Amino acid sequence: MKEALPWLILFLPLLSAVVITLFTKKDRELSAKLSIGAIVGSFALSMLFIALAGWEPIKQESLVTWLGVGELQVDFGLRLDALSLLMLLIVTGVGSAIHIYSYGYMHEDRSMSRYFASLSLFTFSMLGIVLANNFIQMFIFWELVGVSSYLLIGFWHERPAAADACKKAFLTNRLGDFGFLIGILLVWSALGSLKFSVLEIELAKNPDALGTLATAAGLLIFCGAMGKSAQFPLHVWLPDAMEGPTPVSALIHAATMVAAGVYMLCRVFFLLNAPALAVIGWIGGITALLAALIAVQQNDIKRILAYSTLSQLGYMVMAVGVHAPSAAMYHLTTHAFFKAMLFLGAGSVIHALHHEQNIWNMGALKSKMPITFWTFLLGTLALSGVPPFSGFFSKDEILVAASHQNGVLFALGVLVAALTSFYMFRLIFVAFLGPAKSPAAGHAHESPRVMTLPLVALAVPTVLAGFWGIENLYGKQFGLVEEAHPSSWFNHLFEPFNHAPLAALAGLGALVFGLSAAWHLYRNATRDRLPETFGVLTRVMQNRFYFDEFYATLIANTQDLAAKAADAFDRWIIAGLLIKGAHGTIELFGRALRLMQTGNLQTYTFLFVAGVALVLFYVFGR
Amino acid sequence: MSTLTYILGWPLVAATLVAFIPRNYRFTIRVIALAATGLSMLLAIKLFSQFEVGSAELQFVQKVSWVDALGISFHVGVDGLNIGLILMGAIVAFAATAVSWEIKEREKEFYILLLIMAGGILGAFASFDLFFFFFFHELALIPTFIMIGVWGKGADKNYATFQITIYLTAGALIALVGLIALYLQSGANTFDIIELTRHVRANPLSVNQQHFIFPLLLFGFGILVSLWPFHTWAPLGYGAAPTATAMLHAGVLKKFGLYGLIRIALPLMPEGARSWLHVIAFLCLGNILYCGLVAIRQKDLNLLIGNSSVAHMGFVFLGIASLNLIGLTGAVMVMVAHGFLAALTFGLSGYLYQQTKTLRIDEMGGLLGRLPFIGAALIMAMMAGCGLPGFANFVGEMMVFFAAWKTFPLVTILAVWGALIIGSVYMLRAIRNILHGPLPTTWEGLKDASNPWRKLPFALLLASLLVFGFAPRLLTDKIQPSAEKILKMAIGASAPQAKAIKTARTD
Repeated sequence: MKEALPWLILFLPLLSAVVITLFTKKDRELSAKLSIGAIVGSFALSMLFIALAGWEPIKQESLVTWLGVGELQVDFGLRLDALSLLMLLIVTGVGSAIHIYSYGYMHEDRSMSRYFASLSLFTFSMLGIVLANNFIQMFIFWELVGVSSYLLIGFWHERPAAADACKKAFLTNRLGDFGFLIGILLVWSALGSLKFSVLEIELAKNPDALGTLATAAGLLIFCGAMGKSAQFPLHVWLPDAMEGPTPVSALIHAATMVAAGVYMLCRVFFLLNAPALAVIGWIGGITALLAALIAVQQNDIKRILAYSTLSQLGYMVMAVGVHAPSAAMYHLTTHAFFKAMLFLGAGSVIHALHHEQNIWNMGALKSKMPITFWTFLLGTLALSGVPPFSGFFSKDEILVAASHQNGVLFALGVLVAALTSFYMFRLIFVAFLGPAKSPAAGHAHESPRVMTLPLVALAVPTVLAGFWGIENLYGKQFGLVEEAHPSSWFNHLFEPFNHAPLAALAGLGALVFGLSAAWHLYRNATRDRLPETFGVLTRVMQNRFYFDEFYATLIANTQDLAAKAADAFDRWIIAGLLIKGAHGTIELFGRALRLMQTGNLQTYTFLFVAGVALVLFYVFGR
Repeated sequence: MSTLTYILGWPLVAATLVAFIPRNYRFTIRVIALAATGLSMLLAIKLFSQFEVGSAELQFVQKVSWVDALGISFHVGVDGLNIGLILMGAIVAFAATAVSWEIKEREKEFYILLLIMAGGILGAFASFDLFFFFFFHELALIPTFIMIGVWGKGADKNYATFQITIYLTAGALIALVGLIALYLQSGANTFDIIELTRHVRANPLSVNQQHFIFPLLLFGFGILVSLWPFHTWAPLGYGAAPTATAMLHAGVLKKFGLYGLIRIALPLMPEGARSWLHVIAFLCLGNILYCGLVAIRQKDLNLLIGNSSVAHMGFVFLGIASLNLIGLTGAVMVMVAHGFLAALTFGLSGYLYQQTKTLRIDEMGGLLGRLPFIGAALIMAMMAGCGLPGFANFVGEMMVFFAAWKTFPLVTILAVWGALIIGSVYMLRAIRNILHGPLPTTWEGLKDASNPWRKLPFALLLASLLVFGFAPRLLTDKIQPSAEKILKMAIGASAPQAKAIKTARTD
């Protein structure tokens, strides 16, 4: 019974996706309920399983051989440990809130059945990544996450922007997967296995098993994470992916898809050596800074959150890079709660304002949408790292780890923290406080209960997750010494200041700096005064550092050019010259020969006589 | 009689029967064609399920001698290499017959040719006699030309017919010269593949003979499979062909060349194979990269699918070139998967053409809203085409990459690029431009396949792709022993790779 539970957790969402697609498509209500039922069921079963089996249930990974040919043995199994079980709770828990919220948000859409089928497929794929016990299985679900996000981002496919965005997301992810797959091939050929547990033992026995390719393997595998977790330079898809329905943004850009990259890095942390980790740390740091800078100058509420997600993902990847996977997972966990809530809050605002997304057309929503406002504020506080909210603790752990490893990355982290609180409070001041900046904002109403309840539900972990000892669970997973558990909540709150005062105080200072700057600039503002001060810089930020333009040129000058060349070669050289040439030569011979066969007796006689004359000339003439 | 004989026999019997039915009994003709191919399909499924896994021996054998003096006999049977192909061929033949409702003129002749083609293909894959192996292939090939010439579409129809006829006839001719040389040089005085193999194992051909005959088979069969740079007939020909013909040829008949390479060239001429493998590995990049890039530029859906189908053949060649167990098994897997996929995509594009009378990508757009079933099926087909897990193609391509990695790392990296990046670029562009976006007013009158009969062929092909994608062992466990047997002959018992595989299997 206990053994069957994880399988049930994994396959319930798939079952719902299949049933909806094949049978209940016509019945929108039933489809929605099936999908919601499946994920809530998975959530409940996950809790039940943990209650029954504890945090470290396995030694035996239940196995089926999915594919076995010669040396290529691919299992389909489940890896159950603290890392995957916690992730299971996050995905199904946050996912449940988002599914329920979607029921309200998408209620008027005529394709609601398709929406929920895609959502269930997505959940299944994500759970598959979490539970995978080997590289191929992970890669399979990795790709499935890619395609289900494609379906969700492009849900409103008749809109050109959405259709372009889903294509871009899929292709960018594919670029990362290209590296990922090569990395998998490298690891497999060097170590002879694909299973995480076997690989870990092999590498522990012989740390140099990968030899000179160790760094390359690590970085290639990181490529996969770069795509999914939208790290620089593959970050361009994530902001565009906001074209999907808002609950989708909450699901794939907060709790699940983008978290998959970080999760995967933590899962294969044993494979990454110091040089690879250094690169990973820098990429994370750069992403965090770049995205935070861009977020400062965005005006679309969802885009601000999107860049903020990018920036926080950069944080997590940086944490992996500074040898602190448990801090990365801790931040991933708390971030999943508050970012999902922020996205859902933004959705509530957008819903109330009839699809208005520009924050400069909002304002004064505090009194009209109290639940949305207060939960959004809690999320902002957590994201900016205000103690005692959950984000404070997890961010602090990352800063502490960075300060031990790399001073520059630590400074970068503090700078990003300041920028984070600046752009988040800018959002709060402009969108929720101050005067109403458009008629729609003046007539806004609070969203229905089915949408506000998930907000409230997510607010609980946003506030409290710092006190649940999540970091200890992750710490044990990665073999860190378990710290003495603080005796009370009060002690726990001040523990960061005693333990590593520099990091905690720097984080707090950054928060205060960002908050006061935002207060100074945007309190009661009706327009953005920042561009006047920093002309060129803000323009660059607004234009997202011109990455999209740069990539468009790059692709046009490489892949598209090669395609053009190949097509021209095919058309003119192979098909044209060779085939038509062969055709033409034969036809020419045919024509020439035809001239001789005119059927005209005189011609024949002439040729005959000419021939005889030629022969006679050769015989006698010389 | 063996079930196999019935599988290939029913379509041929039906073709004869249809010949005697007056042409205005159109419904009867169609029912007979559907019944015959349907029956073969059911029998093929039965055959597949009764196949004994884990054995490399021939099963369901029937052997009747025909011309004793030359050693020709009607000899059919299945082992791991062709069981999947026969199942795939029978399913595709039924699907192709089912979509032929689009043919409105000279139906009688069309169905006769279609049935002959189906029977010929199945016969070619089932035969273990070189004579019938080749004869059945020609039996299927000739109707292809006629069908393209008579029922074809598009402005380039004549040029396409002309090119495909010349190319394929030339390819078949070169292969035939190779086969006859093989027959004569081996001195076994038999056309029976099993006996020939046994004889050659005992008395191998000299290295010189192998170096002479292998390239004949490689390029002869290669032209039939559109090996780069002999590929230009394929996209053009498929673009002009009637839907059913394109489905059967691109899906099934084209695999004949690959099957011939694996079944005959590799085991009988190991030395020849070894010296040409590097060439194959690099030519396959021509298919994967070059034709992939060409596909990106296509403005006509059928040309796009045709080029992509040519590109996919590269993975099979790469699997063969890697010459190990994973690679050969993967190559057969890709052959089967691609058969379903090519038939599905050509079937869908045929449906679109029926509705819109155009296949120009820039004239379409937003069709998913009007055609939810066909559109969704096309998206799934495109996704299968860019190697998405869940579909059989992924498994095959993945195996090929793992197999080729150790021998040809650079080629593998480029092939992965072709599979993951180039493939998804043109597939996604096609989805974006055909199905997504706003619906032009011109297409508001389009009709989706709402009738279950119209949906059936597509659903069948999709289901096959999904079944083998989710449970690849259904096929790989059957292929493996036979691939191992071929491999043992191709690399010799002392070759190091064989040992590595053995040890890996024991632990």
